[in-house]
Amino acid sequence: MSGFTGTRQALLFALKRDRVIIPVWLVGLIGWMAMYVVSYSGLYGTQAELDALYKSVAGNPAVEAMSGPTGGLRSLGGAIAWDSTPALSIICAVYAMFSVIRHSRAEEEDARTDLLLASGAGRLAPLAAALIVTSIVLALAAIGFSLVLVIGGLAAAPSILLALGITGFALVIASTTAVFAQVTTKARAARGLVGVVIGVSWLMRAIGDTSGGTLTWLSPLGWVQETRAFWGDRWWPLLLMVLATAVTVRLSFWLLSRRDIGSGLIQPRPGPAHASASILHPLGFSFRIQRATILGWTAMLCVYGLAIGTIGDNIEGILESSSAFSEAFASLSSNLLDSYFASILTVIALLGAGFTISAVLRPAAEENRDRVALLLAEPLGKVRWVAGHVLIAWIASALMIAAAGLAIGIGLGLVSGDFSQAPTLFASGFVQAPAMWLTGSLALLLFGISSRLTPIAWGLLAVFVLIWTLASFGNLPDWVVDLSPFSHTPAAPAVSVSPEPLAVMTGIAVLLTAMGLFLWRRRDLA
Amino acid sequence: MSAVIEVSGLVKNFGQTRALDGLDLKVEKGQVHGFLGPNGSGKSTTIRILLGLIRASGGEALLFGEDPWRNAVGLHRRLAYVPGDVNLWPNLTGGETIDMLGSLRGGLDPKRKQELVERFELDLTKKAAAYSKGNRQKVALIAALATDAELFIFDEPTSGLDPLKEAVFQDCVREIIGRGDTILLSSHILRQLEHLADTFTIIRRGATVETGTLHDLRQIARSAGRDPDSMSLEDLFLSIYRQ
Repeated sequence: MSGFTGTRQALLFALKRDRVIIPVWLVGLIGWMAMYVVSYSGLYGTQAELDALYKSVAGNPAVEAMSGPTGGLRSLGGAIAWDSTPALSIICAVYAMFSVIRHSRAEEEDARTDLLLASGAGRLAPLAAALIVTSIVLALAAIGFSLVLVIGGLAAAPSILLALGITGFALVIASTTAVFAQVTTKARAARGLVGVVIGVSWLMRAIGDTSGGTLTWLSPLGWVQETRAFWGDRWWPLLLMVLATAVTVRLSFWLLSRRDIGSGLIQPRPGPAHASASILHPLGFSFRIQRATILGWTAMLCVYGLAIGTIGDNIEGILESSSAFSEAFASLSSNLLDSYFASILTVIALLGAGFTISAVLRPAAEENRDRVALLLAEPLGKVRWVAGHVLIAWIASALMIAAAGLAIGIGLGLVSGDFSQAPTLFASGFVQAPAMWLTGSLALLLFGISSRLTPIAWGLLAVFVLIWTLASFGNLPDWVVDLSPFSHTPAAPAVSVSPEPLAVMTGIAVLLTAMGLFLWRRRDLA
Repeated sequence: MSAVIEVSGLVKNFGQTRALDGLDLKVEKGQVHGFLGPNGSGKSTTIRILLGLIRASGGEALLFGEDPWRNAVGLHRRLAYVPGDVNLWPNLTGGETIDMLGSLRGGLDPKRKQELVERFELDLTKKAAAYSKGNRQKVALIAALATDAELFIFDEPTSGLDPLKEAVFQDCVREIIGRGDTILLSSHILRQLEHLADTFTIIRRGATVETGTLHDLRQIARSAGRDPDSMSLEDLFLSIYRQ
């Protein structure tokens, strides 16, 4: 009788529970990779087109901060690897996180693990099953990615390397999740911490890629791009992933074998017996339940801004040495650095729109967790409650992006000693807010129709990110570029801001929000 | 007497399924009205319509003579609700949750709240995530009982409560009635209902099967050829369902 007794049964049970989710995710992930193959093969069919792509983006620090080193862009495979690596690595990692938590801590939190262990399973079995079921899905994804790339006409070895790199990062996150699942007693908190790990991985490689590379090696996501599939084919970064996985898996089982079932390393502490005045108002209460998310996102975006600011001095040199950028950016403004900051602010706004969506959709999360009836059976109007959450989301989004702009200015000042840019960058942050509001209002419209439709909002944001990435190559038809609200935001601080597009976007956002609220007023609670 | 709740021919469709199919329910002021039916018969759906959380597909539901869908906020000032499965905000303590819910109707009487906390023996300083089922139920019960509502809608309010707290709840029900207020009580604990309720409505598959006092229900059972006087509510309920 070992701690692993019953792992096989637990695994079969986990596979049965996930019999719908797994195929859906696999089809989505592999289809996404196929989309890269098809669109790149279509857009960049000839070497001349690839050379043009390389010339237009290679070394562009804003693009590298978003998507990673551009050294491989001269080949079709390299271009696909470059564009697919960050998006697919992160989405696979998010899947791995949800999968491990779903079969370990979430089960424990709801006391279903007790049932399983009382029926004779070993205490390590549920976690082992969670890790195995996640690994199986990642292995299938790796096979699928490889097949899609090879069928697309790319060489087998680098295709397999790319597939293993992307899924290997997710495997590291899966085993890291297994550790965090031992730390907190709540699945939600564990997911939040792993989300921070994924975010920091992205951030460290973003900073590393624009400042010489040291930080890139501290990020597991950096290891994926450093395999350099299709432009060097280095296999040894995969070993780092195997090592990191082995260590974290071992750690998670060690922690699990030493703690009570249902407990964590961090135990919940008692809190106040009486509410402070701040939550005795509907808006104050809504802010309270959004507060942790707001602070987390603000911190993340500000750290990113600060980091970007501190490397601003180097960037200026890089930009000036490349004639392609000088031309591209000079058309916008006399100041290259301002153009660079404008496009970084767009990146931050695209990331921050993720916050806007989740904050606007907080009522949907409340609805799905069945807490709404308790609240709305009090004399609190449906519309007023949701409108309060929207208001918080809008204000927080605007302050957050402005704070990130200010952080760029402070970072720049710390290095150069000249803080005079900070107020301008702070104001330039606000210019990005209407596009974020508009994205959030689309989410609210979906919520007004039905809570079940709200995941589509994330798909829309993914499309906006894709449009931004492809638009920076200059290869998209104008009408496609125009579909994204972020394309209409004036490139402050590089250009003087014309208020019309901002007013129009804000107007549309208000209109869509009003429509969403109207539909919500008329629909049943789930 | 005036009807606090007046429901007639209520219909609710969820897509293809018909959850309520012409349900009738009448609750007079000052009554405890027992609302009975097997799982899935439409009790909670009826209550959600009465709260204005979902909209009736047909028929009429009136609270204090008003449409709860149209005037939810106004009516909610006059009622308090306890669901059978209380989900709370995991990061808030029980004390914070009660105060927050109370603030939405302008605040609770602190003395009354404190008295209820002591009677139900609830630890206000625990985070909701750490509460057992019974303790989550107590949070919603205290938040509702400390109000000065005229109508209390209880949907399986005591699920997970121990027998001592169950008795406390029954005392609270008597105090509400002593004040002249009204209760709609949906419960599967038929012994509890038999002691507390004045009138009953028994539903099946979204429609009312029987309604009346215990005496009325016994008359119905008599016509079915059984000796009713010795029958408990539980016997009556089972005999009506087995017909």
